Amino acid sequence: MDSLKPQDITRPLSDQLISLDKFMPLPAPYDKPGMEPGPSPLKEAWKDNHCTTLDGIIGNDRLTRPGTKEEEERFVKNFLSGMDKLFSKETNSGFLTPFLLAFEYCAKCDACSEACHIFKASGEKEVYRPIFRSEALRKLYRRYKKGGGLAARFTGGDMEINLEAVLRLGELAYRCNLCRRCAQNCPLGLDNSLIAREIRALFSMEMGIAPTSLHERGTLLQLKTGSSTGMKRKAFSNIIEFIEEEIADRTGKMYKIPVDKKGADILLIHNAGEFLSWPDNPAAFAILFEEAGLNWTMSSELAGYDAVNYGIWYDDVQAQKIALAQRRAARELGVRRIVIGECGHAHRAAAVSSDRLAAGADNIPRESSFPILRDIVRSGAVKFDPLRNNFPVTLHDPCNIVRSMGVVMPQRQILKALCPQFREMTPHGVNNYCCGGGGGFSVMREMNFSEWKMKVAARMKFKQILDAFQDTIQDPVIPKYVCAPCSNCKGAIRDMLDLYQATAKFNVQYAGIVELMVNAMVIFDRPYFEWLQEGWAERKGI
Amino acid sequence: MGTINVKGKEIEVDEDGFLVDPSDWNEDVVMAFAALEEIDELTDEHWNIINYLRDYFNKFQTAPMVRKLCKETGCSNKHMYELFPSGPAKGACKLAGLPKPTGCV
Repeated sequence: MDSLKPQDITRPLSDQLISLDKFMPLPAPYDKPGMEPGPSPLKEAWKDNHCTTLDGIIGNDRLTRPGTKEEEERFVKNFLSGMDKLFSKETNSGFLTPFLLAFEYCAKCDACSEACHIFKASGEKEVYRPIFRSEALRKLYRRYKKGGGLAARFTGGDMEINLEAVLRLGELAYRCNLCRRCAQNCPLGLDNSLIAREIRALFSMEMGIAPTSLHERGTLLQLKTGSSTGMKRKAFSNIIEFIEEEIADRTGKMYKIPVDKKGADILLIHNAGEFLSWPDNPAAFAILFEEAGLNWTMSSELAGYDAVNYGIWYDDVQAQKIALAQRRAARELGVRRIVIGECGHAHRAAAVSSDRLAAGADNIPRESSFPILRDIVRSGAVKFDPLRNNFPVTLHDPCNIVRSMGVVMPQRQILKALCPQFREMTPHGVNNYCCGGGGGFSVMREMNFSEWKMKVAARMKFKQILDAFQDTIQDPVIPKYVCAPCSNCKGAIRDMLDLYQATAKFNVQYAGIVELMVNAMVIFDRPYFEWLQEGWAERKGI
Repeated sequence: MGTINVKGKEIEVDEDGFLVDPSDWNEDVVMAFAALEEIDELTDEHWNIINYLRDYFNKFQTAPMVRKLCKETGCSNKHMYELFPSGPAKGACKLAGLPKPTGCV
């Protein structure tokens, strides 16, 4: 273990604080030499323009080195001014109280580090301790905002600011998945992930620095086109038509997907990434909602067909703009409630984070789709045959749905009813570990960030998946299914299965919860999953 | 940001090698990208996919779903990786001059 201290973030440019090696070991069959893909070298050109002095990784591509001495001074000054605004009710009304609690009352017991998958999976690198980042900010604040005198020095304000410290802190804010497992394990309930999130907000809101994929090609694209994928209304309509055809081809039954149906009970909003990358998911929702006879619709209005809200990860103003645009789409249709599909951060953004951002007439009830899906199983409205899902299944808990909202049981009740070989991960439920894609990381693919994301942030989840399937992992004939009911979690799990070739070598499959439900529906004479279709007719005959 | 040299002209590309300005696209750019993507020879199958992507993008200002691309060009997802080693999104879209995919995809 290294012995770095928060003051070390001020070390000169020549010192990269840590190197990524000696990660937490993985279980079989990834415990053998040669199973871990090697690291790729850092491009020399990146070192000149970006901050690679923390861990050799670039997460925030817009955090670039100032060109002149004047720009450098302005950069540091802006940072200090932004830091000031985190501490004032006028400029941080949304998060001031929980932020101040975490900032002021931390007893440095370090329970958070033990809870943090990034710290543990990295091989316990000091800079990834949740309190390392918080303590660095605390030292700067005490030094520069509390006078910096003798008293400040006694209370930890003993760190001079410099460019490298600001840059490293800007990167370090993007080494946290914002999963809040640390807050759950803190004896005082303090949320160190909120401090990471507030540092991101400082950089975005005061300095105009946020990763391209989250801001310019994320939030701004969504406000302009309706979706962070760039999908406009015309493209959305084209996709819905295609999904209808696909369902007919796949199941032999035609369904009309309701779009812009005025006065429906439910407006179902998916993460629009589903349409492009996992169209079987919105298709399965349509099949289930139609078969259950629900009065529902989708929307083709701006922001009405994309539930994402990247703002919650880095910028309060952007979060509010998106939340309002989504509410507007719902209001125009006159629906009674917004129901969120399988997307964790959209759950949290719509139901929790934006609860006070869109008040009064702008508001409309919002809820998770999971209890509705559970009720479809329980009510008997749709007939299922669990033996159609007779392969090992485990459940990944999206942090935002489970830890942040307490929606824990409905998804389990579905799996227990429909998957005879369901097994939990360890730990699970509210004690789950993040997939590694949380806090925007699934969307961030700049420079060499994906590599860090997979090897460090996603490592604990990969370990949990392997542990859950230890009985059958070595047998590629048996499909093993990771149920990940969240678009961003699916993105992270897809990338990890790809990196470690776990699908190709060991037949580890993944998708959401509705696909499992449709796969078990008795009205269809063939499996919904493509990977089950081969040899289906013969197997059925046996 | 960086550039690639296409017949003596420097053309701007992003960190992942996608065109910054879609109007820079032409057949020489496709050839230059193909070399970078380790595609030895551009066949009719490649062009079929590139042309489909460009038509779709012109019509909808976004890339099509991979499923739709495969269905309408008659090229399986597996074969897509044989034609474009980095896959439909990172490989085929790049050659077709489309911007890098964004969002939760």
